[in-house]
Amino acid sequence: MSKYRITVEGKTYEMDVELIGANGAAVQPVAKAATPAPAVSAPKAAPAPVAAKPAEVGSGSVVAPMPGTILKVLKATGDSVKAGEVVLILEAMKMENEITAPVDGTIESLSLNEGSTVAGGDLLFDVK
Amino acid sequence: MDELWKNSIDRLESRREAVLAAGGAERIAKQHASGKLTARERMEALFDDGTFVELNDQITSRCSDFGMDKKKKPGDGVVTGYGYIHGRVAFASSQDFTVGGGSLGEAQAMKICKAMDKAMEMKTPFISINDSGGARIEEGIDSLTGYADIFYRNTIASGVIPQISVIMGPCAGGACYSPAITDYIFMTDYAQMYITGPAVVKSVTGEVITSADLGGASVHSSTSGVAHFVYPDDLSCLNGVRQLLGYLPQSNEDLSLNVPGTPVDNSAALSDIVPADSKKAYDVRNVINSIVDAGSFFEVQESFARNIVVGFARLDGQSIGVIANQALYMAGSLEINASDKASRFIRFCDCFDIPLLTLVDVPAFLPGSQQEHGGIIRHGAKLLYAYSEATVPKVSLIMRKAYGGAYIAMNSKGTGADIVYAWPIAEIAVMGGSGAVSIIGKKAIEAAEDPAAKRAELLAEYNDKFMNPYIAAEHGYVDEVILPAETRSKIAEAFKMLETKDRTLPLKKHGNIPL
Repeated sequence: MSKYRITVEGKTYEMDVELIGANGAAVQPVAKAATPAPAVSAPKAAPAPVAAKPAEVGSGSVVAPMPGTILKVLKATGDSVKAGEVVLILEAMKMENEITAPVDGTIESLSLNEGSTVAGGDLLFDVK
Repeated sequence: MDELWKNSIDRLESRREAVLAAGGAERIAKQHASGKLTARERMEALFDDGTFVELNDQITSRCSDFGMDKKKKPGDGVVTGYGYIHGRVAFASSQDFTVGGGSLGEAQAMKICKAMDKAMEMKTPFISINDSGGARIEEGIDSLTGYADIFYRNTIASGVIPQISVIMGPCAGGACYSPAITDYIFMTDYAQMYITGPAVVKSVTGEVITSADLGGASVHSSTSGVAHFVYPDDLSCLNGVRQLLGYLPQSNEDLSLNVPGTPVDNSAALSDIVPADSKKAYDVRNVINSIVDAGSFFEVQESFARNIVVGFARLDGQSIGVIANQALYMAGSLEINASDKASRFIRFCDCFDIPLLTLVDVPAFLPGSQQEHGGIIRHGAKLLYAYSEATVPKVSLIMRKAYGGAYIAMNSKGTGADIVYAWPIAEIAVMGGSGAVSIIGKKAIEAAEDPAAKRAELLAEYNDKFMNPYIAAEHGYVDEVILPAETRSKIAEAFKMLETKDRTLPLKKHGNIPL
């Protein structure tokens, strides 16, 4: 129930306004909350979505995700690494970002020094 | 039974058999051999067991050009109807690749449109399963107009009912635009979407590329951002659709299901998950999972623009949308793709009255000519627009960094956040200390006997003054500084208080979001 004041040709009327549903019953403003709350029926198993593979340049090439400064170089060309192992730390965007090997293999063409600056998209190293 | 009844029944039965025979045993076997379900099997998998009801099974093409009179089949290459998902009605269409390659002609389009119209009248979700070679060339521009009829309905229904597209085979040319207008696109690993296929690409540009590299699920989920969910096969994909619908209301006039779980408060773990040293990264999904109902977080577009995480979750059983900066990728900075991804998610939630929780740890908008020339100004503006426009309950938690324009863009008080919390380690400032000191302390540093010492002194002063949440709290931009262990209970309490929120926009046709 809402109160309205309506002025028609200078005369003011106070009205109570009630919204009526199709069956004549007053519609409560919160009526849509009447959705029943059954547990989501799960007649079928609900598997988690499968992560798609992130796009990489070539199989094991790693490029700078953003411009920044090389803070630490933890591996050298010729070192063998496991996927996920930290190779470099790139200081960028107020963060020390760990740059990891995308695949198992041997580091190639890593020629960056601590303090080097890189642009977004620059090749950092390859893992082959 | 007299002879006339028997003949009539026989005739109906043979017509029904012809519908179910679809493209014939050989083509169905081929569909199965390629790891796919048939159009009807997909409907059975989508809906609660045994609830699918087919409509207009007899609709057939009226075209007889180019031998179509001999090729056409009842049903015209699409199965449409309704059924129940978690006990609630939904309408769907499912293209039948075994019938004329699922190609879309006038009758197929009409059949799909009839189901869409019912979904709109009944205010239920509409799910469109795509597996089609494209326009039926024999039917000429009537086929193209069929697409237009679908696009038009997709657009009118946008924001009224949830619309979900499922790509389970080829989806080429104009056929891509119906999915693109709908709210969510699901793809299986063997689906493809492209406006022009590899053959045309080669003839026009000389570029040689496979269909998977051009428009496969991996490309669209991680590079283009066209697809929202990818699954390995039909069954897991349709289960994913069911899972998503569990978070959504039937329409913009309905409320989402409340699914009470076991509320577990894992907030105590948050101070272990998030390093106080804001230079150290962490996976923000662990933060989300510690706040929301156990196991309820359902991530959207998880492989695209990973510097921002968006998805649905439940808090005390109620659906919420979560937007969180991801420190693990690009330090959680905002750029073009993250802005687009988050804005579209926010607007979807606002359409369907799903409250928004924003977890902030953002260093800045990503600098550089690539971003500027790519239009970060107009893309980033979408995020500000989407948050400002959204009238649903909006709660923010500033976990660590909140800097500059990116702080304002991430559901700040000024753009309409209802409640903003911050942890005591939060850094809310116009810019980082190092950059700020270089500007505001330039003269003092140059004039000092020991510039490095002066710089360190000014930096310490700046950090002490600004690297905390208290100025923001003193000025009312943060409502409360809370302990990590209080996080879930505070956020749940805020959303409970906000249930009766009533904020409306001025009457208008629609706003003009920067696109």
